[in-house]
Amino acid sequence: MSARWSKGRKPGWLARQSLLTRYLLIVLGAFLFIPIIIPLASMLYMLAQLAMYPDTTGEMKYGGASEVESAWHAEAGKMEGLTPEEIDIRIRALADQYPDASLFWVDEEGRTRLELPEGAAGYEQWTADSAIRFMKASINGDPFTVVSFLGKENGSTAFMVLQLPRSELHAASGSASGTPFIVGFIFLMFAFLAAVSLLFFMHIRKRLLALQAAMSLRDDHGLPAPVEEKRQDEIGGLESAFNGMVEQLKVGRLRQTEEEELRKRLISNLSHDLRTPLTVMRGHLYTLKSEPLTDKGKEAVSVLEHKTEGLGGLIDNLLSYTLMTSGRYQLSLEPQDVLRLTRQSAASWYPVWENEGIEADISLPGAPLVWKVDREGFRRVLDNLFQNVVRHAAEGRYIGIRLGHRDGQSILVIEDRGPGLNAGNGHGAGKGAGIGLAIVEYLLREMGLAWQRESLEQGTRILIYESNTSDGAGV
Amino acid sequence: MTATLLYIEDDREIGEFVSGHLEAGGYKVKWLRSGDRALEEAQNCDLVILDVMLPGLDGFTVGQRLKKSLPALPILLLSARTAIDDKLQGLQFADDYVTKPFHPDELTARIEVLLRRFGSIETECLPVKHLLVYERENRIVNRDTGEEIALSGKQFHIFHYLLRHLNQIMTKEQIYEAVWGESYLEGDKTLMVHIRYLREKIERNPAAPEIIETVRGIGYRVRA
Repeated sequence: MSARWSKGRKPGWLARQSLLTRYLLIVLGAFLFIPIIIPLASMLYMLAQLAMYPDTTGEMKYGGASEVESAWHAEAGKMEGLTPEEIDIRIRALADQYPDASLFWVDEEGRTRLELPEGAAGYEQWTADSAIRFMKASINGDPFTVVSFLGKENGSTAFMVLQLPRSELHAASGSASGTPFIVGFIFLMFAFLAAVSLLFFMHIRKRLLALQAAMSLRDDHGLPAPVEEKRQDEIGGLESAFNGMVEQLKVGRLRQTEEEELRKRLISNLSHDLRTPLTVMRGHLYTLKSEPLTDKGKEAVSVLEHKTEGLGGLIDNLLSYTLMTSGRYQLSLEPQDVLRLTRQSAASWYPVWENEGIEADISLPGAPLVWKVDREGFRRVLDNLFQNVVRHAAEGRYIGIRLGHRDGQSILVIEDRGPGLNAGNGHGAGKGAGIGLAIVEYLLREMGLAWQRESLEQGTRILIYESNTSDGAGV
Repeated sequence: MTATLLYIEDDREIGEFVSGHLEAGGYKVKWLRSGDRALEEAQNCDLVILDVMLPGLDGFTVGQRLKKSLPALPILLLSARTAIDDKLQGLQFADDYVTKPFHPDELTARIEVLLRRFGSIETECLPVKHLLVYERENRIVNRDTGEEIALSGKQFHIFHYLLRHLNQIMTKEQIYEAVWGESYLEGDKTLMVHIRYLREKIERNPAAPEIIETVRGIGYRVRA
């Protein structure tokens, strides 16, 4: 029933009620059901009967028992002072009125007179004994029996008897014949009640499921979409709370994006502000270098040049690392031939190595080695590692890049003959390398790769391989 | 032929220094302090050097607009932002990328490479060791003998590609894919065979090549 109300535009009175109220209404309906529904059923039955058989009286030929009785008494009253013949005539006439009945009368001497049909009385001569027997047999029996003494006030001792089969008498009056109807009706009402309860719960269930679906659904930004608030009941409250939560999430997301954007801009500006003077310094150093300088001056310029370069790299690494770890650098992992990437990176570093007098020993097979990496990210890893070699292991005059194998796993090996990482306690090696290697560490982990640094007798060996054991994004 | 460079840089000190350096290197430099009039000014230029952080229109927007209307104009991006941040975005339209602070000589070298790649400086005659290469006429002359060297199609393509990337090391994959136009297959001997024939034609001593240098494990290089 509740469902029908919700169709309207404006929520009806019922729709505004809480679930509890509506449920209580159903329960109340069920309680009121029994005292109301049974009389209602009888009434409906009677009305239906009336509607279907308007001439009920025709069916009830003789009327009810009391009617027949009083009519018979009245007839008996009219027999005052009649001769037996006249009484016979009247009885015959009455027999026509009651075609189904057995009639007889007994005169004042107790003799049975007219019997219709013959032998209806059962006794020829009535005695006190037979009269009592007859009466005893007749009380509440079938046929229905009416005994009337003749004459006004029924004063005579003669009497007349009417016997009607009860079936004739009760033909259409009965509640008995309506019982299946009422049972059926009550059953129907129970079924209706059950259906209403079921609908009530199905409706609740449907709305809960819809809410659940809405919660698990995500839009482009990974947030659930708000749901339509249909009613002001408990689930309606839940829906509105849910919508409020979605709204808060949206606001939060927006603020987060704004903050990230701000952070990124801040870093960009910071980078710009740091590098611009560095570029100017670099320019002036370049100019200075072409001026006539003493050897000491030349050396100073060269040191300054190196330091500016290092500082530039450091700024880049520092800011890149900040961006990366704050999740601003999105890696797109795709299957790539890492040997090819390595060769390309080595090709761009080769002139630098030549300048520094570093011998490059590169032996990578032509067959591709496909790992799932981010192109720029992998380049960055190599750049940082190669940069490190140039900056901290140039004195070894060697860089080796080759493909190794261990337990059936391919390993990219980068080797130098510098002082080694451990050697540089407090000296340049360990310190400056920190942030660059932190980037290497971060990027490799994000790409599902692992790395290992081995200190050699002379130099450092770096091994890069797929980490299929741990959180392996690269598998 | 002097190449004209359009240089867009808002910082006065850097701008003065870089344009001075480039002019000293023999280029004609048009220096703009903002990207607003970049498109008009770029019409007769051979290369654009673009700073990313500009007042008004940022370098990315200017670069994208330039590339759209003048696709044959090489763009060199100068950035003072973090490389990892800009590199992907920048290289979608820029042809090369230099991060500040840069070595002035490196900038010149990159400009040279770009101009050569885009064919803006086709010198009449490019001397490479004992060869004279007439790029426009596709002619190679041996200075020792005065004889012209005839190369087959693929040999010429390879040599031309390496000359376009003069002083740069090109990997085997890069050369193969540029010349053959298909992806390089592992252990493909085709390139090696062609290089061998090419050397036989141009090198004084093919067993000890001077022009086409083998960079072991990486690829090849031609140096001027």
